[in-house]
Amino acid sequence: MTNVADATPVSSEVKPPARTSFRSLLAQTEVDLRLFGMLVALAAILLTFNVLSGGTFFRPTNMVTLAVQATGVAIIATGMVMVIVSRNIDLSVGSVVGVVAMTYALLMTDWMPNVLGMGVDFPFRWVIALGLGVGLGAAIGALQGFIIAYVGVPSFIVTLGGLLSIRGVVWYLSSGAAVSGLDDSFQLIGGGAQGSIGGTATWILGIVACLPIIALLISGRRQRRRYGFPVRPVWAEALLGVIGCGAVLGLAAFANANLWPQGLANRYAAEHGIPIPAGGLHISTGLPYPIILLVGVTLVMTWMATRRRFGRYVYAYGGNPDAAELAGINTRWTILKTYVLMGVLCALAAAIAAARLNGSTLDVGSGYELYVIAAAVVGGTSFAGGIGTIPGAVLGAFVMQSLAYGLSFMGVNSPGQNVVAGIVLILAVGFDSFNRRRGS
Amino acid sequence: MLIRKLAAITAVAAIALAACTSQSPGASTAASVAASVAASAGAPCTVGVSWNNFQQPRWAAHDEPNLKSTVEAGGGKYISADANLSSEQQLTDVDTLISKGANVLVLLAQDNKAILPALKKAKDAGIPVIAYDRLIEDPSILYLTFDNVLVGKAEATAILTKVPKGNYVLITGDPGDPNASTFLPQGWDQAGLKDKVASGDIVLLNGPKGTATDAWKTEKAQANMEAIIDKAVADGKKIDAILAENDSTALGVVAALTAKSYGFPPLSGQDGDPANLNNVALGKQYVDVFKNANELGKAAGAAALALCNGTAMADLKLPAGLLDPTVAPAAGLSAQDFTTPNGTVVKSFILQPTPLTADTLQTAIDAKQISKADLCKGVDPASAPAACK
Repeated sequence: MTNVADATPVSSEVKPPARTSFRSLLAQTEVDLRLFGMLVALAAILLTFNVLSGGTFFRPTNMVTLAVQATGVAIIATGMVMVIVSRNIDLSVGSVVGVVAMTYALLMTDWMPNVLGMGVDFPFRWVIALGLGVGLGAAIGALQGFIIAYVGVPSFIVTLGGLLSIRGVVWYLSSGAAVSGLDDSFQLIGGGAQGSIGGTATWILGIVACLPIIALLISGRRQRRRYGFPVRPVWAEALLGVIGCGAVLGLAAFANANLWPQGLANRYAAEHGIPIPAGGLHISTGLPYPIILLVGVTLVMTWMATRRRFGRYVYAYGGNPDAAELAGINTRWTILKTYVLMGVLCALAAAIAAARLNGSTLDVGSGYELYVIAAAVVGGTSFAGGIGTIPGAVLGAFVMQSLAYGLSFMGVNSPGQNVVAGIVLILAVGFDSFNRRRGS
Repeated sequence: MLIRKLAAITAVAAIALAACTSQSPGASTAASVAASVAASAGAPCTVGVSWNNFQQPRWAAHDEPNLKSTVEAGGGKYISADANLSSEQQLTDVDTLISKGANVLVLLAQDNKAILPALKKAKDAGIPVIAYDRLIEDPSILYLTFDNVLVGKAEATAILTKVPKGNYVLITGDPGDPNASTFLPQGWDQAGLKDKVASGDIVLLNGPKGTATDAWKTEKAQANMEAIIDKAVADGKKIDAILAENDSTALGVVAALTAKSYGFPPLSGQDGDPANLNNVALGKQYVDVFKNANELGKAAGAAALALCNGTAMADLKLPAGLLDPTVAPAAGLSAQDFTTPNGTVVKSFILQPTPLTADTLQTAIDAKQISKADLCKGVDPASAPAACK
């Protein structure tokens, strides 16, 4: 979780901590304090709602609903981090989601059967639709990125124009009508009982995910020793391994405690000739596909941001544009790529939104830009540029969505939800800048 | 030289345009009736229409074309602007329409209070205003709408007949829209919801006022409904019926029910959107109260032309034969007094809504609201409603 910027070589000797306070112990594990704080805040929010609802809130079904609702914003937020880190902004994300979602819906209900000659039985229609949608997202991103990076129009203006004009295009695509009736296979992207991988696969995935965590810790330690970097104490390494694996397996167990709705399970049993036991048939849903997609996106984006040249260029440019330019980085090409990436991520989020709605309406994605920017900023991304992490933004999205879902669960209407979301946004950023100032 | 040439070209174009408008054939009965309304018109009449948004399918698909064709068939000129959900933009739009020479304004208000400055400007300029489908609180306007109380009543009557007892969920629309906060709930109560709640036959799972939906957004209604289902399941309660105020929210409710594999308890909606009518045919939505917007557009066009000719609001009369008799105002074709929730009395034409269930879907096909293919998409032939056979 450490940032590239933080990994500066220090003296090769490990200095013993001056005093063993909780803070210094935490420092030895090299856990990102900001991320840790956000996890604590998220837990506090969930616990508060659990108490307020008399213990009915913190149930697997509810948490899965909350997580699925957060996926769209979280996926886009990972890209928004890169955009904001490089001192730009993207206000058009909601409209891009809208236009791509409408494209998916029209592809499957109209264009594929009527224009492209791909009937309902055509193989892999959902893959083709997804590919075309991602291509469209990337193309819109490339166009906006080109105008920003090469023509030199400020990103705020270009994407504000995108916000307006692309939303208008959505209207023209369907003449204002809602379009529904997607392929069954495409709908799985949206989650739900059937759009999940099931109990066994979730356990396997959990165990498989555990191995790289341990492997990374061991190889990381070896690398640091080889190059003479300070290493964590053994207890810290072990603790991180246990916590990491425990968290992954705990989440798997939690997801598996989410069961198919009884009616669906009974119908399934009747269709497949399975006898229903006395206590009712329990089928684990396991992890829904949209959450797996989010985890995948988070891992790939984190890898790109911290381990790839592209990511380093983005942070270098955000930290000091002039220095980056003078150092020979092709800054324009880098900026353009952040917007292409953004378009692709919007297309993935649009797939989830369209699949969840089993279609698309004119207002799909409207307002996303605000939630996405809020998620990135709550997650520690700074508008000054150069600072921000991908996992932070994902956590930020979860913090915002847990508030919205929790208030909705408690029966608070949307004006009330907006008030709370706005206050939390300001508090989070205010607290963060207070901390930074004290730290420096 | 160039300027003179341009002027000549413009003049020719203008004459050609004028010829085209006056020659537009009154093919349909509605158009010919409207033409007779405006027959006595001296100066050409310009009708300015300010739409609040085209986010909901019905405005562009039904209201606008009928309003436009009725105005043009009567020799008038149609100009319009779309405020794209912004009440500030709408004020600018109205300014533009007035400066473009509108003689009558038709306003679909984004916000019934924010529109008041625009109304004042129109009044100062002596331009009569028709409040189209959404009320504007001012005695000077002509209010033209479907009876939204009756819409709510039709929604609740259908659902209450189907599910007389049990746990209900109420999904309302945008809190700033009087249809959402006042008229539709009034209709629900008139249909007997209030009494049944008082007697304990019906339990409201999500509070006495239900859950509001910002800007009637489908995604918002979906997220809210998912939380409501989770809460009901957590509390061990079963949802027996859902009253949703309109189709965009009903679509979100169906998506939430699908995601949760909850089954489909009887659900209401209104607007007759194609996706929702398809859901009625599929058994996912029980009733869709359909406001035949074609007729509302025609009525607005005819009223605008009459106002243009100087007819006083109190003397307005819709031409006989213009509207479908099942939709025409129950109170007759003359303008009626309408008392607003704030006690203002305005002149009005209040049209009647049509509830559509699986048994009466043929009406939607007949009104050209939806094609049979779209209505019956994905419907299992074995359990298909009559309209799909």
